[in-house]
Amino acid sequence: MKKGLFFALVFLLWTGVVWSSEEKLTFPSGPIDDFETFVKTYDSKRCMECHEDVYNEWKESYHSRSMVSSIKGIANFFTVGVPKEWEKELNKQEIIKCLDCHLPQIKFATERLAKEIAGYMIDAKLAKGKKKEEAISKLKQLNLSCYGCHNIKVAGTAPGITGHIDPNVIYTSGEGESDAHETEHTPMLARAAFCTQCHGVYIAPDGESTYCNTLSGSYVHNYIGQGGRETCQDCHMKKKNRGHRMPGGHDLEIVKEGIEFQAEARGFRYGVGKWIPAANVEVFLTNKAGHRTPDG
Amino acid sequence: MVLEVTAKDLDSGKVLYKDERTYFEIGLDLDGYMRYGAWQIKEIIDMTLQPLKTQHERFFFLMDKNTRAAEVTVNVYYYISGKKGDLIHQKKFRMDFEEE
Repeated sequence: MKKGLFFALVFLLWTGVVWSSEEKLTFPSGPIDDFETFVKTYDSKRCMECHEDVYNEWKESYHSRSMVSSIKGIANFFTVGVPKEWEKELNKQEIIKCLDCHLPQIKFATERLAKEIAGYMIDAKLAKGKKKEEAISKLKQLNLSCYGCHNIKVAGTAPGITGHIDPNVIYTSGEGESDAHETEHTPMLARAAFCTQCHGVYIAPDGESTYCNTLSGSYVHNYIGQGGRETCQDCHMKKKNRGHRMPGGHDLEIVKEGIEFQAEARGFRYGVGKWIPAANVEVFLTNKAGHRTPDG
Repeated sequence: MVLEVTAKDLDSGKVLYKDERTYFEIGLDLDGYMRYGAWQIKEIIDMTLQPLKTQHERFFFLMDKNTRAAEVTVNVYYYISGKKGDLIHQKKFRMDFEEE
């Protein structure tokens, strides 16, 4: 009897240790000043343990390389646009005009860290040798992570409805629950309006517009306006189980799918009596995408 | 995106005709100058393919009078970076002009 009680106590203690070690996913609400802490905090690998399939899809996406894939354009803004053309200091307010989309967690970086990250972007373009390689290596650790869409960007589309975004809640279009984190159902994540925050003309808080791409205007006015009814998510995620790979203009399969091609031709003898070889070619290109093609 | 129509003489390989149509956006600043920087662009000239619309292109051309047979190739290239074009659609036609 005593032996049984002993084993029962050991079991309870063991399970207590295990349970307490399974901490819920939490995120800081205040600013982070250290690069490594910043990377670890928002690293999508934190989600991988439970969502490996989704992580692997995301890893293939351009979202997973949202910084390294845009070095030239962003570095130009940081070195030419802000300091030379606008004659402004390159501070977090200016840096965020690019990184609000390319690295939404920049919101939680201190002014100093934001400038450090901007420095890596500049070095990745302008530096040589080891300094350049190191900068690129740092940028590879930064991206539009799970947390960027499933928390930070949720606040951007309908703040009147979503209100305060809890940093420890993972917002999802699904209905599921998780023991690993607080979850809240957010239909916005399944709507085109969610993607248009970044995939369109970006308007910064100070009113400055940035034309990285113009997809959303085309979608709203020329696609929806003509009777189109699919969302970004319908074509770029749901169709063909594309999921979080979200292929777009960099993926030839979806590009081909978006442009229907028909060509007709006829060779003939032009002229009455004396003739010369002639041809008439008719080509029909139908844009089946929900936005202008190409874009950006 | 570029639509390219090429006609080649099947005997000599000589290009008898070549023409193209390009679909793209031109970014402009507020003074009407063409710009590439996303922060500089405030308006666009939109010459892209519009959603749910069919763009119909018509080509009519004459070839060398001695052409006996020609191959007409219609290519559609997609440029993601502005440098390297990927072929996304292609159709070829053979045309014979021998005296009957």
